Amino acid sequence: MAASRLAGFCQGVSAALKASRVLINSQAPTSPGCRFAVGLLPGNLPNVTAFHQCRSLHTTLSRKGLEEFFDDPKNWGEEKVKSGASWTCQQLRNKSNEDLHKLWYVLLKERNMLLTLEQEAKRQRLPMPSPERLEKVVDSMDALDKVVQEREDALRLLQTGQEKARPGAWRRDIFGRIIWHKFKQWPIPWYLNKRYNRKRFFAMPYVERFVRLRFEKYARTESRKKSLKKKKEKILQEKFPHLSEAQKSSLA
Amino acid sequence: MRLSALLAMASKVTLPPNYRYGMSRPGSMADKRKNPPGTRRRPVAVEPISDEDWHLFCGDMVQVLEGKDAGKQGRVVQVIRQRNWVVLEGLNTHYRYIGKTKDFRGTMIPSEAPLLHRQVTLVDPVDRKPTEIEWRFTEAGERVRVSTRSGRIIPKPEFPRADGIVPETWTDGPKDTSVEDALERTYVPRLKTLEEEVMEAMGIQETRKHKKVYWY
Repeated sequence: MAASRLAGFCQGVSAALKASRVLINSQAPTSPGCRFAVGLLPGNLPNVTAFHQCRSLHTTLSRKGLEEFFDDPKNWGEEKVKSGASWTCQQLRNKSNEDLHKLWYVLLKERNMLLTLEQEAKRQRLPMPSPERLEKVVDSMDALDKVVQEREDALRLLQTGQEKARPGAWRRDIFGRIIWHKFKQWPIPWYLNKRYNRKRFFAMPYVERFVRLRFEKYARTESRKKSLKKKKEKILQEKFPHLSEAQKSSLA
Repeated sequence: MRLSALLAMASKVTLPPNYRYGMSRPGSMADKRKNPPGTRRRPVAVEPISDEDWHLFCGDMVQVLEGKDAGKQGRVVQVIRQRNWVVLEGLNTHYRYIGKTKDFRGTMIPSEAPLLHRQVTLVDPVDRKPTEIEWRFTEAGERVRVSTRSGRIIPKPEFPRADGIVPETWTDGPKDTSVEDALERTYVPRLKTLEEEVMEAMGIQETRKHKKVYWY
């Protein structure tokens, strides 16, 4: 029943799309907008040609492409949709930069589709079919981002020796703390910047007392944590007397 | 990318500091009923065992040493590492009613209680006798469990995956990448950033001049 209601919604959407006369056929693989759909990575890609054949002919020239926000119509109303594993970091490290660029957009469109599905399921108060697909896509995108950042870091370290991509500096803020101030991009130099000059990167003498108090607070919390850890260790030793012998044997 | 990290933080499940792990999955309705927000219970002392030293896996045959079903052998169905618990199939059961309504007393089912790792031992698969286990390395360099009594290797057991996928009978769906395509290596290390390589491949010429920006 729940599945049929979601299917009912999906059919309603498709009727709306038909009514707006969306032309899908122009999104043929040879068009410049769909260059990403061609060539490498035949899998993990919505099968565009099959989808064209299953919807009826549209005659206007307008290309809205809204159908990409929705799953393959065959999956509409299903309780479970089969999906493979997410991309691992090691698999992505073997791919070239162009492949990663294309894969990012494929994953992004899939993620948008799944988020639309999730929101619609929430709106209709129905369970989303196979929510683990969204987690897998998010994990794949995070892994891709990690790999791209690794490559960028490696190149930057090799060419410039800079560890951080964004420039910054250690500065004392108005509260007397030493912070890593990350630089922003501005069109005018710092001595002409009214807003920047209102920020103070120095601390007045009356702040020293508070710096001492803050350090005292920090010292107290650290010592409390340490004593709590010691107490927990003692309780564990009482309950599990063999732990101390195991530790001594591992050290020796 | 920063926005996605923020959304991930919002959706990540955080448990209170001395959360007591029970038989219910944290975040499930049963767990929310038992531990509503603001519940503070005395923390339970759990023997700290590192992941390398833990030797009980789902699907293992083990023998119960203490408790109601002492001396019986059973298969491990669930392992709860946070409490060093193993749940055996059909052993150490108490009975409870399920599906109880106002007028109907419900159906009585046996429900398994967990056992601590000290209360079970692994069983040698060949002679089916309980034995102590050590982690040792094979000639090939593989880390395996070896029975101290007989010296036999106890292999890691088969257990069906939680998502219900059977790797032998898997066929790729329309959106899945085939194994050869996923493992194909297309990366050629070059001294170019991703942006430069993609611009080269797509034939984009950057004709705009970069205006001077000040970083501070």
